[in-house]
Amino acid sequence: MKNLSILVVDDDPVVRRLLQQRLQRENYQVQVAKDGHEASELLGSRYFDVVLTDLMMPGGIGGLEVLEIAKSLYSTIEVVLITAHSSVDTAVQAMKKGATDYLEKPINFDELFLKLDKISNLKTILRSAQDLQQAMDTTENVASQTIQDLEMQTARLQACLDSVETVLLDDSLDEDIRIAKALSLLAEK
Amino acid sequence: MIKITPSELNMIAQYIHEISGIYLDQSKSYLFETRLGSIAEGLGCKSYLEFHAKAKKDLTKNIERQIIDAISTNETLFFRDKGPFELLQHKLLPELIDARTPSTPTLKTTLKIWSAASSTGQELYSIAIILKELLKDASRYNLKLLGTDISDNAVSQASYGKYNKFEIERGLDQRYLQRYFTLFGDSWKIKDEIRAMVNFRKLNLMLPFTALGKFDIIFCRNVAIYFTLEDRKKLFNKIADSLADDGFLVIGSTESLSGVCPRFVPKRHLRAIFYQKTN
Repeated sequence: MKNLSILVVDDDPVVRRLLQQRLQRENYQVQVAKDGHEASELLGSRYFDVVLTDLMMPGGIGGLEVLEIAKSLYSTIEVVLITAHSSVDTAVQAMKKGATDYLEKPINFDELFLKLDKISNLKTILRSAQDLQQAMDTTENVASQTIQDLEMQTARLQACLDSVETVLLDDSLDEDIRIAKALSLLAEK
Repeated sequence: MIKITPSELNMIAQYIHEISGIYLDQSKSYLFETRLGSIAEGLGCKSYLEFHAKAKKDLTKNIERQIIDAISTNETLFFRDKGPFELLQHKLLPELIDARTPSTPTLKTTLKIWSAASSTGQELYSIAIILKELLKDASRYNLKLLGTDISDNAVSQASYGKYNKFEIERGLDQRYLQRYFTLFGDSWKIKDEIRAMVNFRKLNLMLPFTALGKFDIIFCRNVAIYFTLEDRKKLFNKIADSLADDGFLVIGSTESLSGVCPRFVPKRHLRAIFYQKTN
């Protein structure tokens, strides 16, 4: 099983089934939605790594709306739009709104798999960066507690040494008493 | 890529120290090559010797700016480790507000806070958000929030206040994201009400900064680690001069001031440490 879960959204049942079969054959985890409404319900119930959606769909929720819904729910979700040649401009607009990429109809599957591979690689790198970050955070937390303990201890010792110095330099006291006082201060530390 | 020779490495490291105070470990020659290589190549230089000469001769300081942008680390997050911000919210600000509130209710309470290495602004905006949440009636306060950084790029990014999803994702509460940011294409932009609370400007911490006046709280986190001990001593001594007598200093959670500046004494609050001036 590949490491991407994909939601396919297309109102054309033939394209939908074709995409589902081809993607499943490539071992992707695939779910399908027949329109924007179903897509938004599915997105509300679970996370997908990638949404592959047709741009033009009937029923009020088109590809751009699916993009907006997906992005507002999950900031890291990748949305790839499927578009007719005539609506490439709209697809470019969509990329400005956060779509990852677009594919022109008729779908070239080699191109699609290549794009998905790239997304998958990016996600893997991102995940390992997050793991590294987490490891670093843990190290930093532990180190900071150790350093804070040492910092407080150093300050305490410094204060103790300062008072010992004051006592030892106090001319109004006999030497014996100064030493005794200094020793008792040192013992308290 | 142009290779850097050991003598060039030494020369460039010294030059970077001169212009920024940043002390780069010379054992990491790849760091010099990966960060400076494209600038040197862009200038058509064949060697780092030539690059150094060009940078020194450039009266517009344009090359110097590019070098500083390239070598300064901009790793920063909103609410980067929770400790200092909880400290600010639950201890430092309440204490200061108590101490500063004038007996005449018509007078405004002045609070000056400085983020001394503000990078791309996340720390100062986090502080501003905390203030916004804490002070129900912000109009009764005269707030001065200043962020400074040595990198021009960082300062302009901070002033713009726009962050991509990776910069926003970690550290920032969804609640704060919704309340204080606006979705802007694929990025998030800080809302004007927060943006208007802060100011950013370029500053080299190696140079004098008494002109900024005295601050009630200074954040100087994770920047002195790039300086030599000698420079660190000078820096924190100057910071002591710029801090109000009852003010607070917050440094990075893995940094220490022992052996660096005897004018500060550490105090502990929960899992964080802050510093005050010794009397």
